[in-house]
Amino acid sequence: MAEEKKPEAPAAAPKPPPGPPAPPPPRNPGMVTATIDGREVVVRPGTTVIEAASAMGIEVPYYCWHKRLSVAANCRMCLVEMSNAPGGKLMPGCQAALAEGVAVKTDTPRVKDQQRATLEFLLLHHPVDCAICDQAGECKLQDYYLQYDAKPSRLDIPKNVKRKRVELGPTVTLDQERCILCTRCVRFMSEVARNPQLGVANRGTRSEITAFPGRPLDDKYAGNVVDICPVGALTSTDFRFSGRVWFMSSARSICTGCSRGCNVSLDFLGESAYRLRPRENQHVNQEWMCDQGRLTYKPYNTDRVLKARLGRGAEGQAAGREAAVTAAAAALAAARGQGGVALLVSPLASLEDLLAACAVASEGLGVKEVYLGGRPDGWHDDFLKQADENPNRRGVELAAQAFGLVVKPFAELVAAAGAGAVKAVWAIGAELPAAAGALASLATLVVQASNGGALAAAATVLLPASPVAESDGTFVNFEGRAQRFEAAWHPRGEARPHADLAAALGRALGLKAPWRSNREVWLALSPRLAGVTSWDFKWDSLPSAGRRRGFVPLAAGTVDGRLPGQRERLAPEGAEPIERGVAPSGW
Amino acid sequence: MSTEVKEALKQVVAPRSSELDAPLKSKRMLVNLGPSHPAMHGTARAVIELEGENIASCKLDIGFLHRGFEKSCESVTWTQVFPYTDRLNYVSSIMNNVGFALAVEKLCKLEVPERAQYLRTITSEMHRICDHLTLVGALGLELGAMTVFLYAIEGRDLLWDRLTELCGARLTSTYARIGGVARDVPEGWLEKTTLTLDRVVLLRDEIDGLLARNRIFYDRTRGVGTVTRADAIDLGFSGPCLRASGEPYDLRKAAPYLIYDRLDFDIPVGSNGDTYDRYLIRVEEMKQSDKMIRQCFRDMAPGELVVRDFRYVLPPKPEVYGTIEGVMAHFKLIMEGIQVPAGEVYGYTEAANGELGFYLVSDGSGRPYKIGLRAPGWPMLAALPIILQGALLSDLVPVFDSINMIGGEVEQ
Repeated sequence: MAEEKKPEAPAAAPKPPPGPPAPPPPRNPGMVTATIDGREVVVRPGTTVIEAASAMGIEVPYYCWHKRLSVAANCRMCLVEMSNAPGGKLMPGCQAALAEGVAVKTDTPRVKDQQRATLEFLLLHHPVDCAICDQAGECKLQDYYLQYDAKPSRLDIPKNVKRKRVELGPTVTLDQERCILCTRCVRFMSEVARNPQLGVANRGTRSEITAFPGRPLDDKYAGNVVDICPVGALTSTDFRFSGRVWFMSSARSICTGCSRGCNVSLDFLGESAYRLRPRENQHVNQEWMCDQGRLTYKPYNTDRVLKARLGRGAEGQAAGREAAVTAAAAALAAARGQGGVALLVSPLASLEDLLAACAVASEGLGVKEVYLGGRPDGWHDDFLKQADENPNRRGVELAAQAFGLVVKPFAELVAAAGAGAVKAVWAIGAELPAAAGALASLATLVVQASNGGALAAAATVLLPASPVAESDGTFVNFEGRAQRFEAAWHPRGEARPHADLAAALGRALGLKAPWRSNREVWLALSPRLAGVTSWDFKWDSLPSAGRRRGFVPLAAGTVDGRLPGQRERLAPEGAEPIERGVAPSGW
Repeated sequence: MSTEVKEALKQVVAPRSSELDAPLKSKRMLVNLGPSHPAMHGTARAVIELEGENIASCKLDIGFLHRGFEKSCESVTWTQVFPYTDRLNYVSSIMNNVGFALAVEKLCKLEVPERAQYLRTITSEMHRICDHLTLVGALGLELGAMTVFLYAIEGRDLLWDRLTELCGARLTSTYARIGGVARDVPEGWLEKTTLTLDRVVLLRDEIDGLLARNRIFYDRTRGVGTVTRADAIDLGFSGPCLRASGEPYDLRKAAPYLIYDRLDFDIPVGSNGDTYDRYLIRVEEMKQSDKMIRQCFRDMAPGELVVRDFRYVLPPKPEVYGTIEGVMAHFKLIMEGIQVPAGEVYGYTEAANGELGFYLVSDGSGRPYKIGLRAPGWPMLAALPIILQGALLSDLVPVFDSINMIGGEVEQ
């Protein structure tokens, strides 16, 4: 409505009818200047109250708003006073954009009363479920209730009864009574997953989230609706009733499901993983992950190789780890004399594991090639999932390059073993893209495996290795982005990280191999990664885990409240933000 | 007589004083008293350097009862601190409970209901009598008066029986809560306690009759361990020891809390600041506490025991089991703790031994960020080497008794 400057208005022109007064010119051109709770804020045009307030450290509560979803403004929790509100009404802070000169107030008695009333309505039909609810401990209803309401119930009629266990699909179970109808899940399915399988049926108090009749919620990203559900309505069928979240610790980990390398939080208790939750990384996975990736924690818990074994089949007998390493080194050294040792690596091993293995194999065993094991390719889409279901194939290439080794496909190894050109194989990881074939009958097959399988069963020397949950390390994803993960708990049983086992084997072969941890491997061998040292990547710079909303209660058991063997691993001082751990130049 | 003769005689008649002393050139002797000595209550150790029978110097060594009180509190919720406070001055635990509760409530700006304030006052004053009875009994015992000790302990246990009926434990009462008290008095308790107090009055007067005019007791305590008013202030004394030195300072009058401003009571003040005065102050304070408790019994009206605010006090069980609001509040308070507003506060009360101070820092989470304790016994204990300078070894024990050092609170 700014009046345009006219050089010379014709005197005879009729005066236009008086409109509303012209708004003041912006105090900061190109920006919007407003005040929130008396503090001035300058924002880009279009910034909403909730965004501006959170940037200023002012908390505006919300349920339905989500920064990666469209605005619904239906939970009414974020209502604030704005000086430009029509009729002086309260305005939804998630939807209302700041305008020039507007004064916003978020803590007036009127706003507080509205928040209290909103919560009272939200809780009116909420079941008394905290004791059996998976969300308890990370529930925004609990948090906001004591923060903004804290009043007893005034309900004197029975609560609404809805369906308590609706199996929406293979991964998600819905409790309709707990739902507050924020529609985050509906918006996620249509906007992010682009597969609108959820909707709201019926009206008023009978409203409920539902899938279409006969059409289950079977999208491959459906599990994310559990994470974004602010209450306990959408629950993970896998995690349901399996553990209380306030007892769990969380490790910053990387999903091993594909070469995307989605950042995840590995929630664990003692020496068991309970679930994976996506961890925010704007450059990799935003804050989503696929349902297949969510289940990749299972091998950390089950079918683990925890003891070394000498001999295969009926001759196999358990052995101490040191004795087995010595036997493996002797067998490999013997085969080296006949010129037939091959190194088989799995791209599920970390970059440090691969560097240590390549160093020992090239210097101690005279190996010139690396055969690439790992899982066969799977499905892919244009969102997150990559066809390559190994998290560290780029890492194998980099480690092999560092030691001048040639990467060769697995099929050539099977052929070479069948032809007798390869007498002995040292396998880092037991995942195979195809049947083991002639490998299974080699005279010397040293396998470092964290889980059982065909190759582990065929090994003449089996060494127990740690999976991702038990070691620190780095994966290089399909883009060449190096990403750190951290150990959640100390290695179970006799298991040790691949790099430890490789170093012990190297020492048994007469090499120095002095590395005692994956960090030492990185410090010693990463300079050999051509070009990699120029990455803007620091091994010690995991992003800050941040504090989980709500609380991290102290569990009973130990003096400081942690369960035995459980360690909280927080970011060291001066941890770098996640954006620093990026790809080599030119990516 | 010539002057020369006079001079010569002087030398003969007035020999040097050292020649009249016994020719025993003694070395100073080091004596270890405690930590496991029946007179060194609370496992304190005193390393005493003796010049003959006099104390040339005294060093105190504490730490045998260290429990890490302040640090322990940082890893529990605000509510869970109460059992730790029980173990400060374990003879009068409720006063510690109340002192901590008042400090937290100061930070939360909570006003507790009147009945809770009365109950806190009643139980605190009962525990003050217990504390003083213990001191008087022990003082008598260690000067040889076993009877006095038995009377005192009988009176103390009678009071503890009543408090057991109220809160379920003799020593570790954990009676106060943030926002009120744990439970109301049982039926008929007031009448029973009045009778108990009558009995305690008889015992107290019997003890006082046996001690106050007792020649031995008088001689062993009068003029022993004297602390002047100025010294007491400089040394940071508070409570009965300060008042025995003549400074009429009592937080119940100086900065009234709970309902002390409504009660009619006097602050006894001593004049000499010696062990005898410290004894007399205790006896007189027992009389005043008795008076206060009876006034409270008279004035107390039925009412709420705790603040009705789900942010600070657990909801009643029917609400927890029957409403989502109740179960959420219960869950948050138990698992996360009371969300005490961020800030710091110093809360102070008049405990049996003096000013009991809690310095609290909250970061707004459910647990204390830092707790600092001003233990009332600490300055008096620290002053002990100064008080005892030059005193007889045998006076150490009554002086140590009269300052009433309690290991549980001094060693935090």
